[in-house]
Amino acid sequence: MITLNRMRFLAAAAVLISVPSLTWGSGFALFEAGARAGGMAGTMVAVGDDLSTLFWNPAGMAFQTNEGVQLMIGTTLIQPRQTFSGSSPYPGQGYTADQVEQTFFPVHLYLGIPVNDRLEVSFALHNPFGLGTEWDDDFLGNYISKKADLMVFDLGASMAYQLSENFAFGIGVDYMYTTIELTRDIGLINPFNQQLSTVAETTLKSDGINSAWAWNAGILWKMGAGFSFGASYRSEFTINGDGNASFTQVPTGNPEFDGLLGTIFPFNGTVPIEATINFPDFWNVGLAWQNEKWTISGQYGVMGWSVYQDLPIIFPENPEFSSVREENWDDAPQWRVGVELRANEHWSFRVGYLEDETPQPAAGMSPLLADATRQAYMGGLSYSTARFRFDIAYEDVDPEVRSTGGQSSDGFNGVYDADSPLLHMSLTFKF
Amino acid sequence: MKKTLFATCLVVLLATLPAAAQVDFTNYVALGDSLTAGFASGSLMNWYQDRSFPAVLAQQAGAPVFEQPYISEPGVGPIFELVALAPTPIIAPVGLIPGQPTNAEYPYPYNNLGIPGADLYDMIFQTGDINNLLQGNFENVMFDIVLRNGINTALEQAIGLQPTFVTVWIGNNDVLGAVLSGTAIEGVTMTPVDIFAGLYSNTIGALYTNTSADIVLINLPYPTEIPFATTLDPWVDIPGVGRWYLVADTGVLTDADLVTLSAGDLIAQGYGLPGGPPLPDNLNIFTGEPGVVLRPDEVAAINAQVDAYNAAIAQAGAGFFSSVFDANALFSGIVSGQNVPTYGGVSLTADFLLGGIFSYDGIHPQRIGYAVLADNLIQFINAEYGNTIPRVNMAEVLFEGDWQTPGVSPAKARETVMSREALQQLLQLAPPKLDQAPRIRRPSPALPGDISRDPRRKPDMIP
Repeated sequence: MITLNRMRFLAAAAVLISVPSLTWGSGFALFEAGARAGGMAGTMVAVGDDLSTLFWNPAGMAFQTNEGVQLMIGTTLIQPRQTFSGSSPYPGQGYTADQVEQTFFPVHLYLGIPVNDRLEVSFALHNPFGLGTEWDDDFLGNYISKKADLMVFDLGASMAYQLSENFAFGIGVDYMYTTIELTRDIGLINPFNQQLSTVAETTLKSDGINSAWAWNAGILWKMGAGFSFGASYRSEFTINGDGNASFTQVPTGNPEFDGLLGTIFPFNGTVPIEATINFPDFWNVGLAWQNEKWTISGQYGVMGWSVYQDLPIIFPENPEFSSVREENWDDAPQWRVGVELRANEHWSFRVGYLEDETPQPAAGMSPLLADATRQAYMGGLSYSTARFRFDIAYEDVDPEVRSTGGQSSDGFNGVYDADSPLLHMSLTFKF
Repeated sequence: MKKTLFATCLVVLLATLPAAAQVDFTNYVALGDSLTAGFASGSLMNWYQDRSFPAVLAQQAGAPVFEQPYISEPGVGPIFELVALAPTPIIAPVGLIPGQPTNAEYPYPYNNLGIPGADLYDMIFQTGDINNLLQGNFENVMFDIVLRNGINTALEQAIGLQPTFVTVWIGNNDVLGAVLSGTAIEGVTMTPVDIFAGLYSNTIGALYTNTSADIVLINLPYPTEIPFATTLDPWVDIPGVGRWYLVADTGVLTDADLVTLSAGDLIAQGYGLPGGPPLPDNLNIFTGEPGVVLRPDEVAAINAQVDAYNAAIAQAGAGFFSSVFDANALFSGIVSGQNVPTYGGVSLTADFLLGGIFSYDGIHPQRIGYAVLADNLIQFINAEYGNTIPRVNMAEVLFEGDWQTPGVSPAKARETVMSREALQQLLQLAPPKLDQAPRIRRPSPALPGDISRDPRRKPDMIP
């Protein structure tokens, strides 16, 4: 006889194999740490002369003790767009789908407080990782992902100390807090018509305190003749998160099959889940040249995405649903260059360019994240007074059109074409 | 200047020549058994024939014609349906009245010459006459449906068509009987390896010699891995007793034993249970009643037989410059989980009823399984011959509903996984050679005399 155990196994397989990875762009890192930095491609590691250096190089704060107490607040409006063109065998040649348009607002809030003319303590809140994806209800990748939201909040404290007139270091600690919500459908073969049928919708959602500690450090050396050199490091961290999973039954039209599924899936209420996510470290070195009017800066960095090798999702009370998904990401290098012109005491202008290699193998590309090596062009301006500065920058992130090459581990092959306009805005107050 | 002109002409010439290595689907012929015919859920029926792997392959490759011996609903024999799922799945034929041929007047041999129930010997030597069927004689029904003229065998008709491309997937029924009867006896339920190897080599040699077709051979999966053999556990949970290992007439079963779907009906009657009669382990050679248990040594013997057949297939492929598609690896990869077909996050398995690959008979694929096979074969042909055949759109396949026949009432429910009628229908596919052993025991090594005909002559007309 066909036992319920076999049904349970198949249902479990339908859950596990489709548990998605928590992955978004450039991996899923965000570099939106301030509008001035955003206007010059984030090339602040060797510059470090405003509060956004708290993300790029904490040592830079040591050279800002004469600015008094500073407060920067801002956001970046991100409107990711993505079009998917399918190929056979699934979802088929000619199939296309557009990601639902969404707008995200990662924040940055920085406070710098000079202790004396060599030491500054600072506090920061920003989003170093995040973003989300959503597809229409009729999307054929619905068994992989329908909607996903992930956001990491970094609450940091750091100190920067000027060892000499030309050399400073900074160190900081980061409290990382994560929220995750993933929704998708579960598909099974309906034995009565041998057709793939949607039998449930499931949502995995974080709850409680899903957090971890990390640290960062940097040095900044003003070498003379306008040149400066900086290096910084932000550590990796691991979120061992708790959450819950809910399953909502989708009737197939066959009461017998639906009834049997009701004995297998926990349709009423929620069940606990546990997940472990490794986030990468990030190191940078930069070189800059400045005079009274110009700043020219470049930097090279690597995100250590090779820590993201797998994603275990554990159902403590439903171990048959537990899974470990292979990711096998690689470290990802990036190049950035930026130029700033200080036209007069109020206005300054800047442009930048960056290239950021994808860490994601083609096999892992999915509707949740189809990452690609990206180029971005940006330009911005600032208006400043003695106690106030407003920065704004526009950035066009243009990932390469990338195909899964028939290698999708989800069996969802095709070409992803994405772009994201970003609008950075920051206000800085000096007290 | 002359050199440049010559080089230009050469480039133009090469560019305009067809890629000689590519498979030409102008006249594609599929030789084989039920798996080639598109047999599913115990039946040969038009809905599934249109979804057979050769039909899908021909369609994807743009073959101008691919004719099949269509049978109207509910097929021959009447197709199985799932009558109930819980507490015990019940599978039975939809009725007793079979479908009828709808393409018997086609004046040439069919492109799909897959004959359900045919083994290698049958493909070479067996004929069929449509008049038998029209007169109500169903004894040789599948051969009568496919071959029709009463004169030419499947191999002869294939050669007569002078195909440009041939697939050969034969040999499954040379070993399937061992699983259906729960008994592995070479010469009775399995064709001896030396006979198989000799016949197979001669068959491919005949195709190679008498046609100019590209030939793709398809090797054999292990029949011990099909749901018919892997679905039932060797034990049952009995309230108040706990896990009870079934008892066969050769002793208590263990976890290493396979219990075939044939046992479902018997277990429901108390066979193998406390106080009940034992399950028949092996084929009763006097009554023909099948055994329902495969012991580990039998499983090993069946798999070794398949390995030996596959070695013969590989040897024939090498000897006659024919490619061999590894269906054994494809299916074993699905069973083991090493190569699971996954589409849009949904993985198909070899599990019965819910896995998506197999039909209700537990032996043959359903349309999704045939499409997976065709898609893998397309990839193989593209890689092997440089074709650019588009892959199968599995989204269309997965979301397509199964065959439905309004007005056909469900068969009477039975308290078993598979009804006795359904089982008997299946057992006819590869009956043990109890009364006709000489036919396969020592066949003449010579092929039919008219097989070495002029390869350029016109195809035979079918009356």
